[in-house]
Amino acid sequence: MKIKKHSKWMSLLLIVTLVSLLFAGCAKTEEAEDQYISVIAKGFQHQFWQVVKLGSEQAAIDLGVEIYFTGPEGESAISTQVDMLNAELAKNPIAICLAALSTESVLSQLQEADDKSIPVIGFDSGVPNAPAGQIAANASTDNANAAGLGAEKMYEALETKIATATVASPITITVLSQDATSASITGRTSGFTNKMYDLIVAAGLTAAVTGDYEAVNKGDASASAVNIAVVVGATPDITDMTNAANGVLNTNNLLGVFLSNEGAVNGLLAALNAGSVLPDGVQVVGFDAGAGQKAAVASGLFLGSITQDPFQIGYKAVELAYKASKGEAVSDIDTGAKWYDASNMEEPDIAQLLYD
Amino acid sequence: MLKLIKKGGMQKIFAFTALVLIYLFFAFTGKNFTSTATSLNILAASYYVGFLALGATFVIITGGIDLSLGALMMASALIGGELYRDAGFPLWLCMVIMVLFATFVGLLNGLMVTKLKLPPFIATLGTMMVCLGFGSIVTGTSSKYFPTILEQDGWFIRTFFKSASGIPLGAFYLLAFFIVTFIILNKTKIGRYIFAIGNNEEAVRLSGIKVNVWKTLAYVISGLSVGIGSIFYAATYIVVIPNTGNGIELQAIAAVVIGGTSLAGGIGSLTGTMIGVFIMSILKNGLISMNLPAPYQTFFTGLVVIGAVLLDVYRNKRANKAKLK
Repeated sequence: MKIKKHSKWMSLLLIVTLVSLLFAGCAKTEEAEDQYISVIAKGFQHQFWQVVKLGSEQAAIDLGVEIYFTGPEGESAISTQVDMLNAELAKNPIAICLAALSTESVLSQLQEADDKSIPVIGFDSGVPNAPAGQIAANASTDNANAAGLGAEKMYEALETKIATATVASPITITVLSQDATSASITGRTSGFTNKMYDLIVAAGLTAAVTGDYEAVNKGDASASAVNIAVVVGATPDITDMTNAANGVLNTNNLLGVFLSNEGAVNGLLAALNAGSVLPDGVQVVGFDAGAGQKAAVASGLFLGSITQDPFQIGYKAVELAYKASKGEAVSDIDTGAKWYDASNMEEPDIAQLLYD
Repeated sequence: MLKLIKKGGMQKIFAFTALVLIYLFFAFTGKNFTSTATSLNILAASYYVGFLALGATFVIITGGIDLSLGALMMASALIGGELYRDAGFPLWLCMVIMVLFATFVGLLNGLMVTKLKLPPFIATLGTMMVCLGFGSIVTGTSSKYFPTILEQDGWFIRTFFKSASGIPLGAFYLLAFFIVTFIILNKTKIGRYIFAIGNNEEAVRLSGIKVNVWKTLAYVISGLSVGIGSIFYAATYIVVIPNTGNGIELQAIAAVVIGGTSLAGGIGSLTGTMIGVFIMSILKNGLISMNLPAPYQTFFTGLVVIGAVLLDVYRNKRANKAKLK
């Protein structure tokens, strides 16, 4: 008798679990096709990834292909991501889009994908330093191009003032960066300085690039009308970035400041909060978003900022994966960047790209 | 069969039935769920939780609990990674130190519970936080990397995770460890005393047995299992991040409870624990094979844990009724 009662409980429990699973499953299986592309992100809850997801879903609709978008609960959940990748490989998708939390932890999985001829597309930061040939292509922001867009916008705003610069009365444009080692920051630093240098030289002026990031230095500042000076903080810590920003604000003949990421932006904002003054007429261009930066742009303190385009990152990743699965040749795609300032940052397609 | 049921093996039978049913469910609804690749994943995803759960079974049978499992495993792996990458120790020595460290912390847990009379929940909660902090301090809060397949010490992965041809070697170590712990729990004095302590600690004390020694030993076994588990975690995931790992102990404890070990102590089985480990692992892989988004996995794992604890509560009620009679 007792055993009977016991098993009634157990069956009830089992039925509840399985039925709820079945419901959840039905919602998905109706649309499921045999062929699908697996998209494994770095996270889920961040607004950035939500927009990536929207982009990849749009691409799936446009291409008429199924996708399964997944990701671990946060950017430290490496083991979860590895488990997900293992499970995806076992499901034999036609292609995998991967933004790896750690290249080291997925090396044997990349090998397995290679063995099974499943093309892997990197997106966002992709799979840095993956063995040659195991990533078919990447869909990511070209940081140099994105920063170049910032240089163009700053040049536009300063064109008349720059035209009056001479060797005797020179002007300075500074770039504040938090390090000279990470690929994204150095890409932005060199992208901005190169573009600005080219624009100034094309206008018939002399220019030099000097400062803490030696790879981009060129020309002689004392014999140039415009000096583009790169300042790199001692460490990426907010205190060191604030000190570096104070140095930037005290530069003679300062006309423009480019801040290559949110860390640099926060350093400058902290310096201003602490009493430093942004000289009249100095134009500031930032990169990425964040609450402080958005407020600075909205209030007109900054000329504007550059943001990556997560929608396109998701869209292009799925597009590349689809092409690669068809055996077409694929190559890295720049997913582009968007300029935002006080006039357009409320527009829905821009606003969704700007995280707090 | 009847004897099994009498011995409280009902839960074990239920767990096994649930394992089969859940597997069949995913076999019908999941994508490629019955493929060899998925089966290998199910095995591979259970290595480290398996070691943790086997060790935790000993502690839980004494009526205790060990909340430090996950954090301790990470701390142990971080120390190993630090010694390997930064101090240049040979990998085998790092592995030995990882096991010794975790065993030592297990001993501390045991002494806190027996000598200092701290409730196990509080003692191991404290150890959990100490381990989280310690791992960060030792590594300067930087991630540690174990050798990848491309490096000289690539044998590490090939020995403890999967062979080059894809054989899940870790499963054999887990099986071996299961057999050893099974013998200790069921065929030796250690196991008998641990069960006895869980059933009625006072009676065991009164019969002149050194309760503290045997109870401490349960925590030492738990620590040792965590140390071994940390090797398999490192081989499976390569990267170890400081200040992570809390939460893993709940997976292990859930597996133990699903397998029929009572949180009240005195009742338990390692076979059940292994079944629990595989139920968790099948769920993990099965829900992905159904293309369910990540939050569903957490959700359903939670349901299974609630179900398991419900059963435990119900079983205790029944046991108490029986005692009264």
